[in-house]
Amino acid sequence: MATTIDKMSPPPLLPQPTALQSFGLWLRQPGFLTATPILIFFLAGFVGPLVIVLGFSFLPERTFGFHGEWTVENYVHILTESYYISFLWSFGLAAATVACCLLISYPVSYGLAKVFGRWAAPIMLLLVIPLFVSENVRLFGWYILLLKGGGIFAGTAKELFGLETGTLLYSNGTTLLGMVYVYLPYTLFPTTLGLSLVPKDQVDAAGDLGANRFQIFREIELPVAMPGILIGSLLTFVLAVGAISEAKVLGGANIVVISHAIQHEFTYAQNWPLGSAISMFAILITGTLVIYVMRRLDLDRLLGRR
Amino acid sequence: MGEDTPILQIKGVTKQFGKLLAVNNVSLDIVDGEFFTIVGPSGSGKTTLLRMLAGLEKPTGGDILLRGNRVNDVSANKRPTCMVFQSLALFNHRTVGQNIEFSQKMKGVPRAERRERAMELMKIVRLPEDYYAKSVTKCSGGERQRVALARALASDPDIMFFDEPLSAIDYQLRKHLEVELKDLHRETGKTFMYITHSLEEAMVMSDRIGIMQAGHLIQVGTPDEIYTQPLNKFVSEFMGEVNTLAVRRSADGKYDCAELSMQLAAPASTDSSETGYLVVRPESMRFLNDPSEADNHVKGSLFNEYGMGSRVQYHVRVGDTMLVVEKLREQAYQGNIDDDVIIGWNVKDSVLVGD
Amino acid sequence: MEDRKKRWVHSLIGVWTGVVLLFFFLPIAAVIVSSLSKSRYFRFPMKEWSFKWYDETINANLTENLHLTSVYVAGCVALIALVLGFFGALAFARYDWKGRIFYQRLIMLPIFFPQAVLGLALLLWFTYIGVLPTWEAAVFAHLVWIAPIVTLVISIQVYGFDVSQEEAAYDLGANRWQVFWEVTLPALAPGLFSGGLFAFLLSWGNFSLSTYTTGADSTVTEWLYTKMSSGYTPMIPTMGAFSVYGSVIILFAGYIFLIAHRRRAAKRL
Repeated sequence: MATTIDKMSPPPLLPQPTALQSFGLWLRQPGFLTATPILIFFLAGFVGPLVIVLGFSFLPERTFGFHGEWTVENYVHILTESYYISFLWSFGLAAATVACCLLISYPVSYGLAKVFGRWAAPIMLLLVIPLFVSENVRLFGWYILLLKGGGIFAGTAKELFGLETGTLLYSNGTTLLGMVYVYLPYTLFPTTLGLSLVPKDQVDAAGDLGANRFQIFREIELPVAMPGILIGSLLTFVLAVGAISEAKVLGGANIVVISHAIQHEFTYAQNWPLGSAISMFAILITGTLVIYVMRRLDLDRLLGRR
Repeated sequence: MGEDTPILQIKGVTKQFGKLLAVNNVSLDIVDGEFFTIVGPSGSGKTTLLRMLAGLEKPTGGDILLRGNRVNDVSANKRPTCMVFQSLALFNHRTVGQNIEFSQKMKGVPRAERRERAMELMKIVRLPEDYYAKSVTKCSGGERQRVALARALASDPDIMFFDEPLSAIDYQLRKHLEVELKDLHRETGKTFMYITHSLEEAMVMSDRIGIMQAGHLIQVGTPDEIYTQPLNKFVSEFMGEVNTLAVRRSADGKYDCAELSMQLAAPASTDSSETGYLVVRPESMRFLNDPSEADNHVKGSLFNEYGMGSRVQYHVRVGDTMLVVEKLREQAYQGNIDDDVIIGWNVKDSVLVGD
Repeated sequence: MEDRKKRWVHSLIGVWTGVVLLFFFLPIAAVIVSSLSKSRYFRFPMKEWSFKWYDETINANLTENLHLTSVYVAGCVALIALVLGFFGALAFARYDWKGRIFYQRLIMLPIFFPQAVLGLALLLWFTYIGVLPTWEAAVFAHLVWIAPIVTLVISIQVYGFDVSQEEAAYDLGANRWQVFWEVTLPALAPGLFSGGLFAFLLSWGNFSLSTYTTGADSTVTEWLYTKMSSGYTPMIPTMGAFSVYGSVIILFAGYIFLIAHRRRAAKRL
């Protein structure tokens, strides 16, 4: 016999939790609980230091502790002195690095994501290996290659062609070379990730609907891969701004990047407040950039959530 | 089926998420050894209900009794039930044998015994012996289904739950597995509770079917009963294409049908409502040579026909409405598209339902 | 027509990638080549080849200390980063909770940060709270940016993990601990392994953070920088070469371990 259940009388709804109870429930979520260790570390290792730097930047120059005197003289000093040259160098060099890295890595990323097929994994492994060799070692390699007279390029040129070359070191170009070399992987891998998101059938459909190669690139590949490209560019830029070794080893005394200026204040000049203020400038500029980009990103999709 | 002892009793079970009532006052008795299927569209609450029965969710109201004992507070790993998940949830990092033996390993059964039992089960679900050491990631879709079945059976549960395990499989394989599941049910004699969104699938395998909508259990009955006596429009339309005509009771026991602009004869109705729906299944419709051949007839034109294996389906346009007629291939209509036709049905082949 | 053009473009891409690979490995090759030079000054082409400087470097006390420091730091970083990263990844990718998106972005911040500035900020911070810069302090410093990276790496593995496996295990009679040990951990193991390896190698090669926080202790990278800034000594390339060998050995050992583990797991019944 067919039976039916009376659906006319729903039971009374349970009471909703109070605000305090909701907060307690939120704290006890497994998500929050597992996040706690790294969050605590984040506070102690990242937020703490930044707050201290902020604090120090408002101290009078060459003091080492908080004694109740606050001043903005450091910021004024930076804005009026020629520190802006260092900033321009750092940001300019970083921007140039990003541009070069993007141009160089895009074809490779495209290859890894779309062309190489099962060779992609071993090729990626090969590309990854240099990342794990210290950048100082790799930069030293360039130093040897470019050294005047006895360097590998110079020596080879002399032996084979009888050419005498001047030094290739200690120029802006060389520094840029070093930067691009060191930071290329940081552009390459996120861009590859971004390109791997581009669905082949959308590309095929676009072609079918009459789009030429450039239009496909502009309308489909670029927008879909953009999160990856953005992350790669952002990462490269920010890390390049903080670069120390490249300029020193390959650029010599010509170029004083921001990291050197900061380092100088903290070591030789023993002027921590000034060093902190310069740092704050760097932090604010890069921080704004980072926050701006991050708000637009869907990390779940990028990293592979199904 | 065994004696009519309810192995599972669901009494007024409710589940509330925030302000949403996912399951609303559901009561049901499941008979020992039966194959019971709950059917409903997504969001009807059927998965939530099943999860509560399995112990993966806790009811906010009502009681669940297993063999007479209240199990609301008994956690899933202590209940003598086992679930086959929609995604199968096989342990991808383990072999077929390790998957099947899992429940036994948890109980501490020694290795040799576990292996023996696994081999037995593999035979029952028709997996070749040499699959024992095979990694599950290398198995095909159908093979993975069987591993999931064997794994669940290995825990020797009183009730087996199935959460739409066949929904992600292609048609051929699914039809094949439906039959195998029904055979498995017969062989093992266990109680099976199954969920699906396809009434058609349920009809193949079930002893009884329950239809859920928006958290309510609307109708329970054998496949035949659901098919021939749907309780309301929702249930009747769940079957796929049926002819549903809105009617209004008229003076002399007949019903006015607005969309067909005519009066129809209908079976006697048990309730006193003025309006309702007249449901006529396509296979009850016939092509008539003369109006007097059936209790009800309409005139229309043949819009299109669709071959469906052993049957042919016809769409007949009547005014603004399309009526569906289905005939066996041997009795196919012999005319052409755009012909003027008369179709009709008998009162006993129609059902009057509420909303 | 289209096909031929496509193949042409593809081979161009292949060639370009080859050039980039060459570009990547050229300086590393240069370091190794120069480490084999016999003379005290560097001159190419090299007149005499020998392992003389390898000998000198291995025997120097300095080398052992430097490498030990680097290993200690990298080892501790790897272990702690794994723990922080494992739980962090669960919060990142597995559990749906209010505030998760904000947490994701927050945790990524230390990665997008100029390392030199971070190093100095940490130095300041340590001084302020009275912690002396030592190799332990460097471990802390490295973790600030490495733990989030490891969290990301493990999260990628977590995204691919079918959560219903845990429910199934529970349903089959496992208690919470058994679910973790038999299902969750083994399924996430590959991610944990690559995360740990990553952490070790990133710490091993790090300079920007080490330089400010190790204090009297010194890692291999710091030594290299100091020496390089003041010109050429033959021990630089040898140390550098050792560093390369070390990285390559660790990477390959890790790779082989992974393969051997997979084979063993398949054999195990």
